Amino acid sequence: MAIAVAEKRRDSLGSAKVREALVGYAFVILPIAFFFLFFIFPMVYAIYISRYDWGVLGPIDSVGFQNYRDLYHDELFRRALRNILVYTAFVVPAQMALGLLAAVIVNQKIHGRPFFRAAFYFPSLASSAAIVAIFIYLLNADGLVNSILGTNITFFADSDTALPSIMALNVWTTSGTMMLFYLAALQSIPPDVYEAAAIDGSSPWRTFWKITFPLLKPGHFFVLVVSIIGCLKVFDQMYIVSGGTGGPNYSTLTVVLYMYQTAISDLQWGYAATIGVALFAVIFVFTLVQRLLFGRPEIS
Amino acid sequence: MGVVPASDAPIGEIPGRSTGYRATKLLVYTLLVALALLYFVPFFWSISTSLKTIPESVQGFDLIPNNPTIDAYREVLTEFNFARYAANSAFMATSVTLLNLFLCSIGGYAFARLRFPGREALFILVLATLMIPDQLRFVPVFQILSDFPHTSWNLDFPPVHYNLIGTYQGFILINAVLATNLFLMRQYFLTIPKDFEEAAKLDGAGYFKTYWRVMLPLAGPALAAVTILTFQGMWNDFFWSLVILQDPDHYSLTVGLSSFIGQYKTLWPQLMAASVISIIPIALLFIAAQRYFIAGVTAAGVKG
Repeated sequence: MAIAVAEKRRDSLGSAKVREALVGYAFVILPIAFFFLFFIFPMVYAIYISRYDWGVLGPIDSVGFQNYRDLYHDELFRRALRNILVYTAFVVPAQMALGLLAAVIVNQKIHGRPFFRAAFYFPSLASSAAIVAIFIYLLNADGLVNSILGTNITFFADSDTALPSIMALNVWTTSGTMMLFYLAALQSIPPDVYEAAAIDGSSPWRTFWKITFPLLKPGHFFVLVVSIIGCLKVFDQMYIVSGGTGGPNYSTLTVVLYMYQTAISDLQWGYAATIGVALFAVIFVFTLVQRLLFGRPEIS
Repeated sequence: MGVVPASDAPIGEIPGRSTGYRATKLLVYTLLVALALLYFVPFFWSISTSLKTIPESVQGFDLIPNNPTIDAYREVLTEFNFARYAANSAFMATSVTLLNLFLCSIGGYAFARLRFPGREALFILVLATLMIPDQLRFVPVFQILSDFPHTSWNLDFPPVHYNLIGTYQGFILINAVLATNLFLMRQYFLTIPKDFEEAAKLDGAGYFKTYWRVMLPLAGPALAAVTILTFQGMWNDFFWSLVILQDPDHYSLTVGLSSFIGQYKTLWPQLMAASVISIIPIALLFIAAQRYFIAGVTAAGVKG
């Protein structure tokens, strides 16, 4: 009798487990199906396509690694790669510094904290297209910036100033997001650390550099990773400023823009997939180096 | 990092009320106002210019227009078709948001609470894609959509196939489940105490009822974050709408703006009006739900 009851219970426990698992599969099947079809499968498919001469209607000829060899010798690709590396080298430190500055200020006991936080974050809300439109207006030859400087610079139309202008507008746009990440990191620093520093008579300046800044290490690395990845993928601003050409004189050509042109204008889909895979490799190497040097990036 | 509204309490505040206190305070406020101006001024000028006439817009840079007019808005919305673009963007952003709310919450719930073989492996796979640049999907996704669901292979099954390039459906499908949202929902469900589900079980509620009636109402902050992040992301999206929706009737606001810049660069009041139109809905959303916005961005981490 007792055994029978125990067995029955085990049976019902077993079937409850099976039921839970079945329900689990039923619940994840739709999201996972979408995910496989539009994220996982495309990642693999991209590598497959990159080994073909692939027209708009599908594969024409298998070419092995020829696309990769061509890419290695492709002057335009090298130009695009150099552009995004230069862009990253300037934009990442600038938006980190500005984001940190804004976060530290907004984290003080001041009047109107929510207002200032919102003000700094505001440009991050707008679409890249709207931001570029506003900057094209402000930076045009007869625009506000030129009238303040008393100059006549065609910022976006000159190959010396086009990329730096986009850098400036993107630092301005995204530093608000970096501020939010830094704020979260700042708020995870325990207050007693500051109390100890105050007891030692440390000046605010010294406290910041000797205590806050080093304690923000996880925050720095998180922001660094997000910022670098965002920069390497940059596309919208260059496309809109140059009308999709990457001009003047290829000065605003980025890797994603080159990939877009290769596919949509030149209809070389296999080669475009190769560019995508190469971009992935570049980003992957950056991420890997960072992880090896600093461990897993986390905000707090 | 849970999806809770950010606290307003300044935790990391630097003490030191001694000698340099007033000087520091002054410096901080000066910096604040200067920075805030730097961040706001471009918007002031775009609003101002959007209310000017074309002749006035090229004459000078008075912040207050002489004769404010909304003509530029009217023209942009009707003659330049931005009403249509805004409707397109609103439709696509809303559809994608609703799909993500449902699919990511039900998936997130299963990943957080239901035990099934392969759960961890599947979830790690989802997380891994967060590391991969979205644009890597460009070529394959285009191929998949252009002969959906055949993906350029000569298969006989299924017998029907569609070209989804140039359709809203194509754009909506590829964004229907976003990894960040799945991640956000799962993390939030993990923080909800199990007591609620056990109580529901005692009441005889099934799994779906527990998810729908008990867990979803408890996940308000996470659902708010998903709604805001997704709607903003889709409303502001440029890359995918440019790639998939190439004909003017299907343009999103952002692609419409880009095309307007290409054709009528110096119609400044109209250009600024179009920009303001694209910013306003997100700005309103931000004002209404600032806390969830900030908590969501911080929790989602990888953005843009």
